[in-house]
Amino acid sequence: MSILGTLLARILEAMFAVGSVGSFVVLLLSGIEDLKMLLGREESHDS
Amino acid sequence: MSSPLQPSSLNSNRVRIVVATSVMLTFISYWRAAAIVLNDLASSAFYACGIAEQAVGKSAPWFIVAVMLFSFTVRAVYVESCSMFVRGGVYRVVKEALGGTLAKISVSALMFDYMLTGPISGVSAGQYIVGLINEVFATADAHGWVPRAVHSLFNGTPQLNVNWTSVAFALAVTLYYWWENIKGIHESSEKALWVMQITTVMAVILLGWSALTVFRFGYQPVPLPTPDHLHFTKESLGFLSHIFSGQSLAHTFGLLGILMAFGHSVLAMSGEETLAQVNRELAHPKLRNLKRTAIVIAMYSLIFTGFSALLSVMLIPDAVRVPVYKDNLIAGIAMYLWGPQLLRLLFRGFVVVVGFLILSGAVNTAIIGSNGVLNRVSEDGVLTDWFRFPHRKYGTSSRIINLVVILQVLTILASRGNVYVLGEAYAFGVIWSFTFNSLAMLVLRFKYKGIRGWKVPPNFSIAGHEVPVGLASVFMVLLSTALINLFTKSVATVAGVSFAVVFFMIFTVSEHANRHKFALAEQQMKDHFQLLQRDTVERDALNIRPGNVLVPVRDYNTLAHLRWALERIDTRDQDVVVMSARVSRFGAAAYDLAMEQIFSDYEQTLFTRAVSVAESVGKRVSLLVVPAGDVWSAIVQTANNLESSAVVAGLSSKMTPQQQAFAMGRAWEAVPEPKRQFVLQIVRPGNKVDSFRIGPHTPTMKNEDVLLLHRLWLNITREPGLEQVHHHDILTEALTRFAHDYGARDREDIIKELRRTARESGPPVSSRTASQIPTVQPEPTRNENDREDLGS
Repeated sequence: MSILGTLLARILEAMFAVGSVGSFVVLLLSGIEDLKMLLGREESHDS
Repeated sequence: MSSPLQPSSLNSNRVRIVVATSVMLTFISYWRAAAIVLNDLASSAFYACGIAEQAVGKSAPWFIVAVMLFSFTVRAVYVESCSMFVRGGVYRVVKEALGGTLAKISVSALMFDYMLTGPISGVSAGQYIVGLINEVFATADAHGWVPRAVHSLFNGTPQLNVNWTSVAFALAVTLYYWWENIKGIHESSEKALWVMQITTVMAVILLGWSALTVFRFGYQPVPLPTPDHLHFTKESLGFLSHIFSGQSLAHTFGLLGILMAFGHSVLAMSGEETLAQVNRELAHPKLRNLKRTAIVIAMYSLIFTGFSALLSVMLIPDAVRVPVYKDNLIAGIAMYLWGPQLLRLLFRGFVVVVGFLILSGAVNTAIIGSNGVLNRVSEDGVLTDWFRFPHRKYGTSSRIINLVVILQVLTILASRGNVYVLGEAYAFGVIWSFTFNSLAMLVLRFKYKGIRGWKVPPNFSIAGHEVPVGLASVFMVLLSTALINLFTKSVATVAGVSFAVVFFMIFTVSEHANRHKFALAEQQMKDHFQLLQRDTVERDALNIRPGNVLVPVRDYNTLAHLRWALERIDTRDQDVVVMSARVSRFGAAAYDLAMEQIFSDYEQTLFTRAVSVAESVGKRVSLLVVPAGDVWSAIVQTANNLESSAVVAGLSSKMTPQQQAFAMGRAWEAVPEPKRQFVLQIVRPGNKVDSFRIGPHTPTMKNEDVLLLHRLWLNITREPGLEQVHHHDILTEALTRFAHDYGARDREDIIKELRRTARESGPPVSSRTASQIPTVQPEPTRNENDREDLGS
């Protein structure tokens, strides 16, 4: 495999790994928000 | 003589047209919104895992679960975009953030998504049905129930060709919905809710019964999603197969193999775009309801799609799972549950019925969605108006529908019923439209710093600059997946890129050709009409008097009802408002409409004709265009806002006057208080008019009913202490008792009696009842009120 191919593969892997960790945080935080909303403890954002 | 039209408020002699830019919608609850989205999203549960397992091996269910969890974050991006643009969607968001060129590319990807949603759903439904038929044949043959002649005709057990029969089925469903869309069916949230209720029943039985089976017989474990457990085929490696063998790649790159497997599973979250489309119709409080909708669809699809994927590997033996059930995995689960074969076969039948309902619905959603997107693009000037020319009879954008369906039919035929090929290609459109959407939202974080209803968390601030960590993370996963799919899905890459390039070129060339024509048309329009933009329809702001007459117009060839109204109304005393409802169907309603888009070439022609009619009669009219999700609702809301006393409509080509009045009445019921009653007059050819009162009103009483009431009154007023009772007191008492009985134990009897009365052609029941009440002569000293009462 060429150096360019390997580099591209590593970049994709890095993006996927970092993005996955960040997405997990998004999942957690938005999940907590959702839970608060379902329990009726969230302030309304509606204007 | 006065001007035939309301003069412009300015100094020109141009015709003043008020263009309302807020679409008049009937709002729906988040449950109904979730049902509409799930009709599209949950349908992928029927085929996603089968496709993923063929591509990556037995650990595919874990990737489906991972995709369903990741879909929570994609949904968060859509919630943020919807909190910024009520009419969001890929085109609107990308155009705002990245400009017209990338918007056209993203719409091309979205069109590719829609172009495959229909075929994959139709073919998949066909696979489930044919699978069941063949299973029934096999079971019948095993019991010796198949006649020898049939047996010898098929050289064994009768079996249908699965793929080609699925193609035939998909074509039939597509053509059915093509015709329904040509006629202009109304997208019903009630039907979507009903389909999801049945699907939920099936899912609960499936999960419960599967749990029982696992408890009773155990299960085979699903291999963990590690590189060691990935088994790529030559097809699932795509272009990479020319460089590496199937097994070595995962070991060589490790995480890259996981990414490739993830990319082969993303089609499980197709249908998210529908969330942006239904956002407009969500009831207040919109953002909260949008979030609730997102939670419902996320949880539902995680449980249904995720668990059914896991159960398919846990319960169906390896020997038959891919060879026999790869295209109808849920049916396969049904066949390997614990219990008698007949019961399992019956449940499989139920699975097939549910699959047929939800997958067929997805075929329809694909036609409606792509029609909406192309309409929007056409309105924006990147497709010629030829595409939007309304159908002569039904008024629908039949040319766009024809184009969409022709492409879908060609896709179905080209696939030869192969769900795997369709699924691989489908993922291309899904992932790229999400990627463009998230990129646009990321750019908007820096480009538009205004207040948003909600933001994807977490967000950090460094030196006064916001860093959208969460949004960037979601984008990185989407982009890396989209890029790896370019290499591993060769068919999808070639087909998707070709399709997108062709569509992009069509858009670009059309836009260029239209530019000159539009400039000319715009100038002509400005010469003739003065467009006054209003957010909402308010009577005072439009300078229209109460008690006016509203005349909805749609087809410029059928304006006889406008002439009829103008010939009879003195417009010095009563205003006549000619109204055109610019229907934004489910899908098209997702996109923002500029004033010039609402008042397009078609409206220009329509109002030119309407003005000609007014001029020929010498009367003044006010002109109004309102965007609407539903015509009936738009008419009723406009009549209510303008305090109209009457609505004069033409006869529909599809409905009887009674049906039109019923539809109007239902729309009236849906309008929130305060609301006014009005008279609906439907002018038939030959100027025959049917009149209906819309809203609660005094019913027209038959003579027999009046007689019955009078006889009751005569009798009751003879009772001591009841001499002062009026006719209306008796009616009140009777109705109160009726309502009580209807709400309690006698409901069924009442309905039965009413049905019988409606069927009977003989003398009315009231007439017979009246004859049974002895006639009593009234006392000579009845009070005056009652005489008036009876007389009226």
